[in-house]
Amino acid sequence: MTESAESPGTRYVATYCYNCVAGPDLLTVKVTDGVATEIGPNFAGADVHPGKGKPCVKAYGLIEKTYHPGRILTPMKRTNPLKGRAQDPQFTPISWDEALDTIAAKLGDIRSRGILDAEGLPRVAVTFGHGGTPAMYMGTFPAFLAAWGDLDYSFGSGQGVKCMHSEHLFGEYWHRAFTVSADTPHTRLNVSFGANNEVTGGPCAVARHADARARAAKRIQIEPHLSITAAASAEWIPIKPKTDPAFMFAMIHVMLHEHPRERLDLAFLNESSSSPYLVGPSGYYLRDPATLKPLIYDTRRAAAVPFDTEGVEPLLEGSVRVPDAVEVGADDERWAHADINASTAFALLVAHMQKYSPEWAASICDVPAATIRRVANEFLDQACIGQTIEIDGVTMPFRPVSVTLGKTVNNGWGAYECCWARTLLAVLVGALEVPGGTLGTTVRINRPHTDRLQSVVAGADGFMQNTLNPTGRESWVKTPTGRNGHRTLVPLSGDSGAWSQALGPTHLAWMFQTHVPENRPKPTKPEVWIAYRTNPAISFWDTHAIADTMATLPFTVCFAFTPDETNHMADILLPDATDLESTQLIRLGKTKYVEQFSHHQGWVLRQPAVAPRGEARDFTWIATELARRTGLLEGYNTAINRGACGAKLKTPQRDFSLDPAQPHSVDEIWDAVCRAASFDLTRGEAKHGLDWFKENGLLTAPFAQPNWYLYPTLRRQKLRFELPYQERLMRTGRELAHRLHESGIRWWDQQLREYQPLPVWHDFAGIWEQDLVRRGKRPEDFPFWLITTKSMQYHAGGNAAIALMDEVGRNVRGHRGIIINAGAAARLGIKAGDQLEIASPIATTRGPAVPVQGIRPDTLVIVGQFDHWATPYAKDLGAPSLNTVAPLSLELTDENGSGADLVRVAVRRIAS
Amino acid sequence: MVADLRRCVGCQTCTAACKLTNATPPGIQWRRVLDIESGEYPDVRRTFVPVSCMHCGDPPCLGVCPTGATFKRDDGIVRIDPDVCIGCAYCAVACPYQQRHIVKRREFAYGAQATAAEDLRFEPRSVAVSTKCTFCSDRVDHAASPRLTPGIDPEVTPACVNSCIAGALHFGDRDDPDSNVSQLLAHSAHFRMHEELNTDPGFYYIVEDAP
Repeated sequence: MTESAESPGTRYVATYCYNCVAGPDLLTVKVTDGVATEIGPNFAGADVHPGKGKPCVKAYGLIEKTYHPGRILTPMKRTNPLKGRAQDPQFTPISWDEALDTIAAKLGDIRSRGILDAEGLPRVAVTFGHGGTPAMYMGTFPAFLAAWGDLDYSFGSGQGVKCMHSEHLFGEYWHRAFTVSADTPHTRLNVSFGANNEVTGGPCAVARHADARARAAKRIQIEPHLSITAAASAEWIPIKPKTDPAFMFAMIHVMLHEHPRERLDLAFLNESSSSPYLVGPSGYYLRDPATLKPLIYDTRRAAAVPFDTEGVEPLLEGSVRVPDAVEVGADDERWAHADINASTAFALLVAHMQKYSPEWAASICDVPAATIRRVANEFLDQACIGQTIEIDGVTMPFRPVSVTLGKTVNNGWGAYECCWARTLLAVLVGALEVPGGTLGTTVRINRPHTDRLQSVVAGADGFMQNTLNPTGRESWVKTPTGRNGHRTLVPLSGDSGAWSQALGPTHLAWMFQTHVPENRPKPTKPEVWIAYRTNPAISFWDTHAIADTMATLPFTVCFAFTPDETNHMADILLPDATDLESTQLIRLGKTKYVEQFSHHQGWVLRQPAVAPRGEARDFTWIATELARRTGLLEGYNTAINRGACGAKLKTPQRDFSLDPAQPHSVDEIWDAVCRAASFDLTRGEAKHGLDWFKENGLLTAPFAQPNWYLYPTLRRQKLRFELPYQERLMRTGRELAHRLHESGIRWWDQQLREYQPLPVWHDFAGIWEQDLVRRGKRPEDFPFWLITTKSMQYHAGGNAAIALMDEVGRNVRGHRGIIINAGAAARLGIKAGDQLEIASPIATTRGPAVPVQGIRPDTLVIVGQFDHWATPYAKDLGAPSLNTVAPLSLELTDENGSGADLVRVAVRRIAS
Repeated sequence: MVADLRRCVGCQTCTAACKLTNATPPGIQWRRVLDIESGEYPDVRRTFVPVSCMHCGDPPCLGVCPTGATFKRDDGIVRIDPDVCIGCAYCAVACPYQQRHIVKRREFAYGAQATAAEDLRFEPRSVAVSTKCTFCSDRVDHAASPRLTPGIDPEVTPACVNSCIAGALHFGDRDDPDSNVSQLLAHSAHFRMHEELNTDPGFYYIVEDAP
């Protein structure tokens, strides 16, 4: 913190914003006479922060957040035992002692009876908001959760339907890419299917893409409406919603069937993919009978040999005779073959993609075949096959072409096809995990979360190890361990604690509370539900139904900034100190979500710029008190010592650990974390405490750029990317089908059909039309596709109550309204500003018409997530919301438990 | 001021930064970014254009001011003396860029009650007068003693420029051929709004590299 030369009563406090996963971003708070008045960049971090020390527009709302007149400033308890939207909770202020003792009594009672109930489900459930960012504000609460034990994280706040869900699962499976990004600083052509980097990528992405445009890099944006990212692109191609796989399949067709093979990266395909693996008649790899290793055909020896045989020249494409081999299928079913004809995986791919020509895709996507062909050709032309680049002394392939996917494209039906096609496009030209290409930036299903390169471990068949949820006869987790059943239904979600649960089909946890499908046990209700930085009563689908379900939960604790639609159902409200009032040290740099791959790594402090208002308390204090009152203090402190707050406090090299038996103050805890973190970062040269971080804000060290790329690590370990052929997924899907069918479960059959070794096109858009028919409706009565788009002002901010965001958001078209094609509007007699009603089969939402040219005539767009009825300021906006009208539906859920922000609707003018 | 339209993404970070820095009341935006569409479906462009007072060399607002409240500084920045302004709005009518804002009454973000920050920042002289972008001249004026350069050193650079996450906004001395903005303009194709009005606006828009 720095005293100002302007005025002795003014100081500047360095801190961070991590309201969205594209952070953390740096900022300073101007404080005058103890009042926070302004937000600005922290230029002291400009050289080490990819966003050049600047926060995005959301951070400027933190002043109003701090002083919001609707803030909850004391703990409160509900006095109306009836819960529901129509009920007044009659919250009454109580002391912290009463609030914490009430919660501790509930928790203590649970511990006395066991933290799992008779169904084996955790009695305590917790829900946190956007993408793990609440952990960047909840201080030491993760240590409390660790001390507690089994928790149910499956009641989502939008995960699966609002995140990049399938990209998380497939991205991590194929290239340790929980989030996928173009290597924007180096790419020359980015083909973006709805990725909205200019809105959700944070200052880092905005700055990098602006730099890319300045050096004449080209982005082609393919999506149904002219988003902000499309506006900042070289070209916008309006595509019919949910037909993106067809466009990508046609691109692959062009590359495989309209160009010589030499245009592809043959070395990459042979050495770094499964392309040369031989496939047997049952669709599984042909394996060496002795070792069960997949076979490839060595053209030197003219013989099939195990894939890892030294000195081979693999056959990439063709059909060969194999004298002796075995296939291993589901449940260890085996086929022994003698003198069999077999094709390579690549040859099967080529044949598979034959039918997916641009002419085939044109009518599906409503995009001319010539356009699709041109994009494919540009992709090939820019791929720079054979070129290399040296970065920090490491020579790597240089492939400056990338494909990125947006939400709704990479989740819900068709997401497998999109994620596969996107990754395959990179594989065909060797542009996966190399400079200029398509990269992953973080891992969450694999560990360690802090270093995705270290997560690369050799697994079976020459690929990276991926721990799928088991599907074997004995190993399948038949009885759900969480209320969504992620381990039971979604092998790819893994079993990596909270992340895997929250990646399971989190809407199913809500749905199964009221609608239990056949032959599945009805899940119990959690006895205690804790929610923080989340408002699922707004941010999920069929929000009225979600709120109704929430009202049935017996005891709900919400950490609360203002009243909102979720904490309307709470029994206890706890006011935590907000962004500018509290303390926490978090990691900065390295490779993080979205485009946050950095040349630096280190730590940044959130510190109180001003004192907490009212009775608001630092989350670390709350966590410590909860631990103490629940009898978990020792486990809580031990968890902190183990590193639950980011840095281990005790290692063989140094000991900053806390006495497990004693409660510690907020500053004592974070001082220890600061010292441990700085010791490790500086290799023992510094032991900076909390005071040092308060003065300096952050501490960084260089992070070598070659660590952005996974390719060198795979080459070093002689591993291949598990593409193009999905043998393991096919086997997994068939085993899962066996298990579910053995249990009498047939309601997941449509999802099970997705486990294809080479994805096939279905009429994905038609699934939404079929859903209308299933509901007894006629598709022609719901002629529009309603989709949504984010705005930087609101994205993940939990800031719908902030007036400043609304004011500046209104400068961006569509905010508070319904975007409709101007021609379509004219045909319907709709003029700008007319009040419209959007109707789906389940509900209606209303807002003013915003006719524009930049949207397909069959598509409507609603910006953000609104329709609030309890949140101050937001409830008076009159803004529409897709969430209100989108149904929660098993039929609209794909095999990974993911849904897409998409709904068929009717529109009518209700007032001028 | 120079805005590189190739870089701007209309995020309104500059708008928000300006509002905080200058404590403008709700609805008063000295700086904002226009969201403009052109063409017909499917051949459509959408462009983001930052706007504010253009600090014209020959400002139309100056001549119509009956009290002399509007004045132009030696460095070209056009200011309003709130103690002299009577809020007659002649300037608002005269400004072809619609960048004069008459603050009619004290207003707050959340109804009748000011927040602590609003209370602290309230400037009674800003009510019932014309207001507009000052190019953060109070910051710029700090450049005189410690040899800092506006547009280069953040301490003496307008808040909007500092805040711009896309690096689209630039500030500097257009009369110095070696300044950052002069160099940017020398190497780019650019325009100013309503050149035909001969107001000599001090706000330039870059559209592409120089041919």
